[in-house]
Amino acid sequence: MIRRRDFLARVAISGAGLFGASLLGAQQPAAGQGSGNLFDMDQSAAKTVRKPPRRDAVKSMTDEQRDALERDVRCQCGCTLDVYICRTTDFSCQVSPAMHRDIISLVEGGYSAQEILDSFVTVYGERALMAPRRSGFNWAGYLVPFAALGIGAIALTTVLRGMQRRPGSAARVAPDAPDVTATDDEMSRLAAAIRKDE
Amino acid sequence: MILIGELSLWVALLMAAWSGVTSFAGGSMGRDDLVVSGRRGLYATTAMIILASIGLWDALLTHDFSLSYVASHTSANMPKIYVFTAFWGGQAGSMLFWALILSIYSALAIWSVKDKARELAPFACGTLALILLFFIATTCFKANPYDRLSFVPADGKGMNPQLQNPGMAIHPPNLYLGYVATAIPFAFAIAALITRKLDATWLLIVRRWSLISWFFLTVGITLGMWWAYVELGWSGYWAWDPVENASFLPWLTGTAFLHSIMIQEKRGMLRKWNVVLVVTTFLLAIFGTFLTRSGMIESVHSFAQSPVGSWFATFFLASTGATIYFVATRLKDLEATATLESMVSREAAFLYNNLVLVGIAFSVLWGTLFPLISELVRGSKITVGPPFFNTVNIPLGLLLLALTGIGPLIAWRKASTSNLRRQFLFPTGAGITTGVVLAALGMRNGHALVAYTLAGFVSGTIGQEFYKGIGARRSIHGESLFTAVIRLIARNRRRYGGYIVHAGIVVLFCAFAGLAFKKDHDVQLKTGETKELVDPLGHKWRFVSQGISTSETLNRFVTAIGLEVFRDGERLGILTTEKRQYFDSNKQPQFEPSTEVGIRSSASLDLYMVLAGVRDETAELRISFNPLVVWVWIGGMIMAIGGLIVMWPQAERRRAPSGYVATLAPAREMASTS
Repeated sequence: MIRRRDFLARVAISGAGLFGASLLGAQQPAAGQGSGNLFDMDQSAAKTVRKPPRRDAVKSMTDEQRDALERDVRCQCGCTLDVYICRTTDFSCQVSPAMHRDIISLVEGGYSAQEILDSFVTVYGERALMAPRRSGFNWAGYLVPFAALGIGAIALTTVLRGMQRRPGSAARVAPDAPDVTATDDEMSRLAAAIRKDE
Repeated sequence: MILIGELSLWVALLMAAWSGVTSFAGGSMGRDDLVVSGRRGLYATTAMIILASIGLWDALLTHDFSLSYVASHTSANMPKIYVFTAFWGGQAGSMLFWALILSIYSALAIWSVKDKARELAPFACGTLALILLFFIATTCFKANPYDRLSFVPADGKGMNPQLQNPGMAIHPPNLYLGYVATAIPFAFAIAALITRKLDATWLLIVRRWSLISWFFLTVGITLGMWWAYVELGWSGYWAWDPVENASFLPWLTGTAFLHSIMIQEKRGMLRKWNVVLVVTTFLLAIFGTFLTRSGMIESVHSFAQSPVGSWFATFFLASTGATIYFVATRLKDLEATATLESMVSREAAFLYNNLVLVGIAFSVLWGTLFPLISELVRGSKITVGPPFFNTVNIPLGLLLLALTGIGPLIAWRKASTSNLRRQFLFPTGAGITTGVVLAALGMRNGHALVAYTLAGFVSGTIGQEFYKGIGARRSIHGESLFTAVIRLIARNRRRYGGYIVHAGIVVLFCAFAGLAFKKDHDVQLKTGETKELVDPLGHKWRFVSQGISTSETLNRFVTAIGLEVFRDGERLGILTTEKRQYFDSNKQPQFEPSTEVGIRSSASLDLYMVLAGVRDETAELRISFNPLVVWVWIGGMIMAIGGLIVMWPQAERRRAPSGYVATLAPAREMASTS
C-alpha cells in the first residue's frame, strides 16, 4: 500500500494526465480487508506526553477549562473525534483515556493550555490538533475561502455592471416589457381580470 | 436466482455499452432506428439491473454465505430488515444500488421526454448509458457483490451495529436518490450543449430533476444528521466529516442552481452559469464519492483502501474534461438574451445568493481537501475538524441567511427607493426587535445573537410575503383565511413553496445557534446515588441511579443503566442508556461495543445521556443538555414539505406559457362587461 505522501508527490509530478494511472497503483486493496464502512480503531496509537511538574506547581485550569482544552485535541484512535467526546462516549477506546491522563498530568504540573497543546504537537505532530494552527501556510486554509468569496464578489459586480452597459440591451428588452407604473384604474381592471380568470 | 442475477449484471454491461454507442450515433447521424435501438437498450439495461438487484437481495435474505458480500455484511442472526438493507451497507452492494437507481431514473427520464425533446433525448440517453456503463463496469470488475468465496462459512461477519438502526436503513437510500438524480440534469446539459439547444424544454426537464435531487438530498442529509445524533453517541449531528461534506456539496450547488434557473426562465439570463452549476453539481457528487471511496481522506465512514477510487478518479477527470470541452466550444450559444437593468434587482440579489452558496461549497471543499494540500506543500499531516469549518462557515452561513431574507424583498428588473423602503421596513424591524429582546434577556453569544436577529429578519420577510398574498386574495375573492392560505400556495406553488423552504432554513439556523448554549457533564454514579445539574435555561435536574443491568437479546449482550429523572422537583420518568456488544451465531463477539443513547426531547432542549462504560460497579456517563435540537428535524421536515410543494406538478391550464404577456382590456370594454 502506497503512503499518502508518496501518492501526493506522484500526483504533483505526473500532472493530471497521469493522475488516474498513479491512482491505479495506489489503490490496491489490502488482503483480507472488508469493505464495510465505519472505522477500525488503532488502539496502539497512544504515545506518552508527559513533562516534569513545575516547581510549586498548581493546577493551571479548572475541570471545565480542561474539558474545553480536550475539545481542541484529537483522539488518535482513528475516530476523528476530539479527546473529550471520544473518552466520554466510548469506553472501548484506549487512546483517548490515555491522552486524557496526559492532559491531567500536564494541567496538574502547572502547564498552560498553549503549552499543553504544544506538547501534544511535539509528540504527535500537528494532526494532534482538531484544527490547524493559525500560522504560516495554515493561514491559506483559513483565508482562501474568504479571499475567493471577495474575488468572486468583485468579479460578479464587474460582470453585472458590464451586463448593464451592454449596448443595445434596452432595445431587446423594452418592447416586451415596458417599464410603466400602473394607475389605480389599471390595477382595478387587472384585479377584475384575475378574478375572471379564476 | 443468484445465477440469473449475476448473469444479468454482465448482460447489463453490454446493453449499456450498446445503448451509449447507438444513441450517440443515432443522434449524430439523424437515424431514428439507431435512436430507438439506443433507447430500448437503456430500458433493457434497467431490466437487467433490476434482475441483478433481485438476485443480490435473494442471496442476502437466504443467507447464501458463499458470496463474499453476503458473508462480509450479514449474519444468520441479524434482523431481517437489516439483512435487506445490507444491500447498500457495503461497497459492492452500494455500487449496484447506485446503478439500480440510476437505471430506473434514466429510463423514466428518457421515457418521459422521448417525444417532447426529440433532439435532446438521444444524446441524453447516450450520456446516461455511458454513466451507467461506468457504474456497472465498476461493479463487475472492481466491487462485484457476486464474488464467491473459496469456501462457504457457517455464518457471516454481520453488519456493524451502528448501521443496524432505522435511520441507517432509510438515510443512505435517500442520499443515493439525491446523488444519482444529479446525473439526469447533467445528461441533459451535455445533450443541450451538443445540440446547442438550451430552450424552454431543456429548462423544464433540468429543473424538475434538479428539484428531485435537491429534495432527496435534503431528506437524506437530515436523516443522516438524525442517525448520527441518536446512534453515534457523540451528542452532535454534524461533524464536518468528509462523507457529510460530500453530501453537502451537491446540495449547495443544486440550491444555487434552483435559484439562478429562475433568472433564466424569467429573463433569459445566466445560461452559461446555469449549465456550469448543473454539471458542477453532478461532478461534485462523483468527486465526493471518489474522495470517500478512495481512502485518500480520513473519515469515520470511508470505505478504506477501496479498489474503486482509481476508477472514480478516472471517470471524474474524463467527465470534467468532456464538460469543459463542450462548454468552451458552445460559449457563443449560451449568450444571454436579455441584460440586467439594475444592480438593485432580484436578479442581482439571486446572483449574490449564488455567489455565497458556491462560496460555501468552495470553502467546504477546500477544508475537506486542505489536509492533502498541506501535506503536499509542507509534508506534515494536519487535522481539519469542526473548529476550522465552524470558523470559516459560520460567517458565510449567516451571510446566506441574510440573503435569504433580502432576495424576496427586491423587485424583479429594478427596485425603486420607495419600494425598497416599504418592503424592508417590517422585516428589518422584526429582526432588530428579535435581537434587542434577546440581548435584553441576557444573550451574549455573538454568533447566536446575529443568527437569531437574522432569523427574525427572514421570518419578517416570509411573514410579510404571505400576509400580502393572503390579504390580496381575501380582498379580491372574499375568501376565508384558511382558504386564502391554501389557494395562495396552491396557485403559486413555486413561490410560496420556496418561502416554506426558507422558513425551514430559518428554523434550522435557530436550532444550529442553540448549540452555542450546549452543556456537557461527566457523571459517575453508583446504584442509588444522585447527581444534580443545571441546564442552560436554569432548570434544576436531579438524576437518581436505578442500577446497572445486563441482558442478552437476539444478537447482543446489553449493559444498561436507568436514571430516574426529575426537573425542578417534578418526576419525568426513567431514562436508560446502553452499551451493546454484538455477537455472531456462535456467541463470538463482533465489532467494538456500541452505545445506545438515552434521549428525552422537548421543544426547548434535549436531555442526552451516554453510558461511556462501567468501572468498579460505577457507571460513567456523559449527560448533555442540547438546546433546540428537535428543531433541526422539524426544520428539515419543513424544507422537505416546501420542496414537495415546489415539485408538485402544476395543472397545465394554470401554467403560463413561455413569453406570456398579460394584456388589459380597454377601460370601456371592462365597464360594459362588469
